[in-house]
Amino acid sequence: MLQNKYILLVFRLIVGGVFIWAGVSKIVDPLSFAQDVRSYQLVGQTLSFLTALFLPWVELIAGVWLIAGIYPRASAMLISCLLAFFIILVAITIARGLNVECGCFGTFSRRADIWLIVEDSIWLILSLILLFSPGNDFGLLKKQSNNP
Amino acid sequence: MSLKKILSDRQTWAGLGLIVGLSIILGLASHPRLVKRFIAGEFKQTFILKENYPQLVFISLPEAEDAWSRRQAVFLDSRSREDFNRGHIPGAVSVPFEELKMGDEGLLALIPDSPEIVIYCEGGDCQASLSLARILDSRGFRNLRVFLGGWAEWTQSGLPVETNAAE
Repeated sequence: MLQNKYILLVFRLIVGGVFIWAGVSKIVDPLSFAQDVRSYQLVGQTLSFLTALFLPWVELIAGVWLIAGIYPRASAMLISCLLAFFIILVAITIARGLNVECGCFGTFSRRADIWLIVEDSIWLILSLILLFSPGNDFGLLKKQSNNP
Repeated sequence: MSLKKILSDRQTWAGLGLIVGLSIILGLASHPRLVKRFIAGEFKQTFILKENYPQLVFISLPEAEDAWSRRQAVFLDSRSREDFNRGHIPGAVSVPFEELKMGDEGLLALIPDSPEIVIYCEGGDCQASLSLARILDSRGFRNLRVFLGGWAEWTQSGLPVETNAAE
C-alpha cells in the first residue's frame, strides 16, 4: 500500500472534504434529506427520519476526524463501509428501475445513476487506501508508529 | 496494515463507538423541535412542513378522487414525460417539472383554465409536485392543490389510469 505521506494527506483531504460537505449540506435540512432517504423505498418513515437525523453527523464527524487524525483508522473504516453501502444501495435502486435524487449533498443533489456508482467507487478506493496504508498513522491521539 | 490487525485494534472500535455516539447526541441536539414534532406523531405520511407553504392546499386520496370524479379540477402530472406516457391519471395534463426547470415556459400555456388545479408526482416523497406548485403560485395561478399521495397512491387504490401508447 501507499507509503508517501503527502499523497496520503491529499487523499485524506479529498475523502474527508467530500464527507464534511455531504454531512453539512444535509444537517441544515434534515427533512428534505429524510424525503430523499424515503424515496429509495427501502425503509419507512421512522427509519428515514432517524437516518436523516444521525447519518449526516456520522459523515461530518468521520470526515473531520479523518483529516484531523482523530481515530483516523476508525474514520476511514466507517467511511469505507458507508461508501460500500451507498454503492450497493444505488445499484439496487438502478436495478429496481427507480428514478430518485441521490440525496448525497442536500439541495445540490443529482440522480442516483451509474455515474454516482463510479464516483462513489473512486472515493471508496481512496478511502480503502487510507484504511490499509501503514503510512497513514498520522494521528492526534496516537504516537507515530515507526515500524508499521 | 491488515484488516485483522485493524479489527483487533481497540482504537478502531473506540473510534467507531465515539463517532456513532456523538452523532446520536448531536443529531438529537441540533434539531430538538423536529424531534419533538416527530415524537408527537408528525411526519407519518410526509416530511413536508406544510406551514412553509401557506398558499398551497394539501389534499388526500379521497379528496383527489372526489375532485377527479366531479371533473371540477384539472390534474397536472409533474413527472417526466416518459412516466406520463407509461400511465397517468385520466385527463391529466403533462407538465414535467424537470422540463419547466430547464426553461420550457411554453408548458405553462398548456394548463387549461379551471377552478381548481391538482398537482401530483410519483408519490412517496417526490418533490416535483411541490416544486411545480410553487412555480405556478409565483406565476399567479390560484387554487392550487397538491396531492402528495400521487401516482403511487392512485394506482395502489385501483383507480382508473390512462396510457399513451405513442412515446
